[in-house]
Amino acid sequence: MRKKQLVAALMAGAMVCGTLAACGGGSTPAESQGGGADQTTAAQADQTTAAQSGDSAKEASGEKQVLSVTTWDNDSSPQFQAVIDAYEEKNPNVEIKIIDTSADEYNNSLGISLSAAQPDPDVIWVKDMGSMLQMADKEQLMPIDDFIAKDNFDMSIYKGAAEQLMYNGKAYALPYRNDWYVLYYNKDLFDAAGVEYPSNDMTWEEYYELAAKMTSGEGSSKVYGSHNHTWQALVTNWAVQDGKHTVVEKDYGFMKSWYEEAVALQDGGYIQDYSTLKTANIHYSSVFKNQQCAMMPMGTWFIATMMQSQAEGETDFNWGVATIPHPADTEAGYTVGALTPIAISAFTDQADLAWDFIKFASSEEAAEILADQGVFTGIPSDAAINTIASAELFPEGDSNVEALKYVHYSFDRPLDPQIEEIRTVLNEVHEMIMIHSYSVDEGLAELTERVAEIKGWN
Amino acid sequence: MSGEKTSFLTSKQRRKIRNNLTGYAFIIPNLVGYTVFVFIPVIFSFVLSVMSWDGSQRPMEFVGLANFADIFGDKIFRGTLVHTVSYALMTVLPTLVLALLLAVLLNNKIKGVAIFRTAFYFPYIASIVAVGAVWNMLFQPDFGPVNEILKFLGLKNPPRWVVDKDWAMVAVSIVSVWKYMGYYMIVYLAALQGISSSLYEAASIDGANGWQKLLYITVPMLTPTTFFVLIMLTIQCFKVFDLVYVMTGGGPGNATKTLVNYIYEKAFTSWEFGPASAGAIVLFAIVLVITLIQFSGEKKWSKDL
Amino acid sequence: MNAKRKATKIILYILLIGLGITMMVPFYWMVISSLKLNKDVFSIPMRWWPETMHPENYSVIWKKLPLLIFFKNTAKLTIITTIVQLCTSCFAAYGFTKCKFVGRDLIFLMYVTTIAVPWQVYMVPQFILVSKMGLNDTHLGLILMQAFSAFGVFLIRQFYISIPDELCEAARIDGLNEFGIFRKIVFPLGKPAMATLTIFTFTNVWNDFMGPLIYLKTKELKTVQLGIRMFISQYGADYAWIMAASVCSLIPIVIVFLSCQKFFVEGVAASGIKG
Repeated sequence: MRKKQLVAALMAGAMVCGTLAACGGGSTPAESQGGGADQTTAAQADQTTAAQSGDSAKEASGEKQVLSVTTWDNDSSPQFQAVIDAYEEKNPNVEIKIIDTSADEYNNSLGISLSAAQPDPDVIWVKDMGSMLQMADKEQLMPIDDFIAKDNFDMSIYKGAAEQLMYNGKAYALPYRNDWYVLYYNKDLFDAAGVEYPSNDMTWEEYYELAAKMTSGEGSSKVYGSHNHTWQALVTNWAVQDGKHTVVEKDYGFMKSWYEEAVALQDGGYIQDYSTLKTANIHYSSVFKNQQCAMMPMGTWFIATMMQSQAEGETDFNWGVATIPHPADTEAGYTVGALTPIAISAFTDQADLAWDFIKFASSEEAAEILADQGVFTGIPSDAAINTIASAELFPEGDSNVEALKYVHYSFDRPLDPQIEEIRTVLNEVHEMIMIHSYSVDEGLAELTERVAEIKGWN
Repeated sequence: MSGEKTSFLTSKQRRKIRNNLTGYAFIIPNLVGYTVFVFIPVIFSFVLSVMSWDGSQRPMEFVGLANFADIFGDKIFRGTLVHTVSYALMTVLPTLVLALLLAVLLNNKIKGVAIFRTAFYFPYIASIVAVGAVWNMLFQPDFGPVNEILKFLGLKNPPRWVVDKDWAMVAVSIVSVWKYMGYYMIVYLAALQGISSSLYEAASIDGANGWQKLLYITVPMLTPTTFFVLIMLTIQCFKVFDLVYVMTGGGPGNATKTLVNYIYEKAFTSWEFGPASAGAIVLFAIVLVITLIQFSGEKKWSKDL
Repeated sequence: MNAKRKATKIILYILLIGLGITMMVPFYWMVISSLKLNKDVFSIPMRWWPETMHPENYSVIWKKLPLLIFFKNTAKLTIITTIVQLCTSCFAAYGFTKCKFVGRDLIFLMYVTTIAVPWQVYMVPQFILVSKMGLNDTHLGLILMQAFSAFGVFLIRQFYISIPDELCEAARIDGLNEFGIFRKIVFPLGKPAMATLTIFTFTNVWNDFMGPLIYLKTKELKTVQLGIRMFISQYGADYAWIMAASVCSLIPIVIVFLSCQKFFVEGVAASGIKG
């Protein structure tokens, strides 16, 4: 009995101490971290040195080092696993621990672990540039300028992409992937309907007509002419495709015709209903893979997904890629895209190793490995496109290779520090318009007003 | 209280100290865990509700009641209050009536009571994710079984359920009634078995039929239970999250967003811990009021009986 | 009279059978849909019996979804949480009822005042706290945050109060120490209350969705509910697979429920009456 009591008391004591310490840290982080940038940098430098000594000690003893990385939907795309495998092969004493989350919960769960300031994850694949800015703003990412300077790292291989990832004059990430929108189509469905495949020079009007033409069937065997996933990007992207506007504007009137067309497509039954997709939480890949749509505008990352799906025997229909349709007043080959950055957590205990990993992940060597899998990296080159096009499961035909080229590239979101906040509003209004809660005009008026409020333009 | 000192104490004092120590030894494991993981967070949630904090390493700031002003100025938050109340209105009464009805039916001397009881109780045990997935498919607006049946029964334009902002909450409520009535049925069954059979015998002698017995004996005798079920159900409705999350995700267009969904999103999507905690305090206030009603009610019943 | 009674009985049966079938239809639909092809799940007209069976759906999802790991995690969380809660609650209940110590009533008051506070009110600060302890995304964090409940203490205490103090006094005179009294006398007598608490905690933890949703991020740590949810969000249009996964998620709880049905029913009844 005595012993039990003692153990209980000890446990209790330990827990109380732990909590008090934790609470102290939680409520007054100012004391430990300091608000000033100098102190933060100093703290980070400390962390770095601590991590360095830790690394070397481990290396000397031959112990396996564990690096944790965060990924999304790792099962359905080879984009992360291919690089991870290659790195582990090159560095047998490093073990990579993958923290995988579904894509729609990724930013959310990453935010949770970062807010706890834990040493894991070390390396973060950042889902989009907006969340990178947000994390950089919260000082959750480690600036990598020192590493770049130390290694004399050549940023010119990214042809300007790396500069897009600067925030307040500091580099926080390397461009891992670079993707842009193309149009996917199901060759078998086009063949069955006796309709010609989508061409690489198609205006949006022509695309709408084609979508109507390709819609057939009833009930659960209905095939939709096209498929718009629930992202607002699948409407707003085309509004900024010509490069004249961005999604942060003082007046959103320029989006009117695009929203009207999207609503018309939905009401005509040529694309699946927004609310069905949203409430049933339907992933676009399962719609395309189940042959429920004839076409689908989507990012180039989906090429790798399709190739993997075919390699695993999950799907066996023929598919193709075409250039994304263009507005009537621009030429073919105008596209919209985004970078996928890879960064280091500010709270890592493995800073050097993490740097080594992200350096490898965005290197030319990794780019080749990824190109084999159908992934476009941050290093743009014709060679990479050719590698992808010659991959076994990439659709045959020159038009598919042609489709991977573009003449003009706009970012789907500008580098605006408040972009995430603005995107929340964009998403809300997008949903309201698509479910007919707002008319297009009402929605855009609200958008104009709320964005102006965020930006302080009123 | 070191050893040598104890020897100066009288045996009575020594016993008192020992009693104290034993008492604390028994409660300490739970007390510590409870303090750390429940009591401190409860207090902390009041503190957070008057702070501004984004979860980063930056310090919190005291903002007074700004968070409350913030959420009550938020159209979406006011919407969640309306949705939560309408969910409660659509759920509480049907669940209660059906649970009572099932219990009364099952309280007869019939064969296979256990099988029926299992059938009614089973939805309560089934995991919410599976239940949400299957009901979402049953409610599929264009070719789902529910609407196929409605069309078969002659309804030209059946509701579009979860994808229609006016019907989504109704769909969620239907699933909720289906899922939880078995639980309350068991509560009622237990209470029914507590009613003395002599009451029914006396009524039979007076010539009362089954319907009259139900109305004049069963229902009045069950009043305390009904009150308890009513309170539990109402509180449960204000806490609803997972059913909505798996069925509609709060949509379409926030039409089914409830109070707890709002707290969750504010906290874990937008990283605004202040407004999230303010929302939590509002929830606390609502539940507190309901509980106070329960206390006063309980006093009344215990006096009556 | 007899004929009338018979008629009533038949109506009763028809009512019960009708209601029972209605309640079970979703489960039936889940099972048959899991045996169809994806494209046949919503065929028009509706089919209540699939033309051809496709049990291979199960082997497909078995490959895509690490169900065994999810079950293991859920079972581990459920069992440990239930045991910890049971033990600490019994200890505390004994302390509150059979021991006299300074501040007893005050501490108990603290329990009582917080018993009605829903978890949702303090989940955010609780999460921050658990994270600061470095227990985010661990099973330990999830166990600790669920293992201590005022409800458990309260429930068991109500039962222990009804155990006469004379019993303990007699044992004390016989020379048993406090722990002995607890172990040999009070604890065995409190079994019915423990059964109630066990069922209560078990179903709550097993079916908990929001807790794991907030706390568990690593795939290898996820529970069945979360795992199925992840699968659904990835294969949203593969209806038959989703249904097959749902069926799998229900199998263990069906087995547990059917074999311990008596306890489930009694547990609910008891907790309902005591509140």
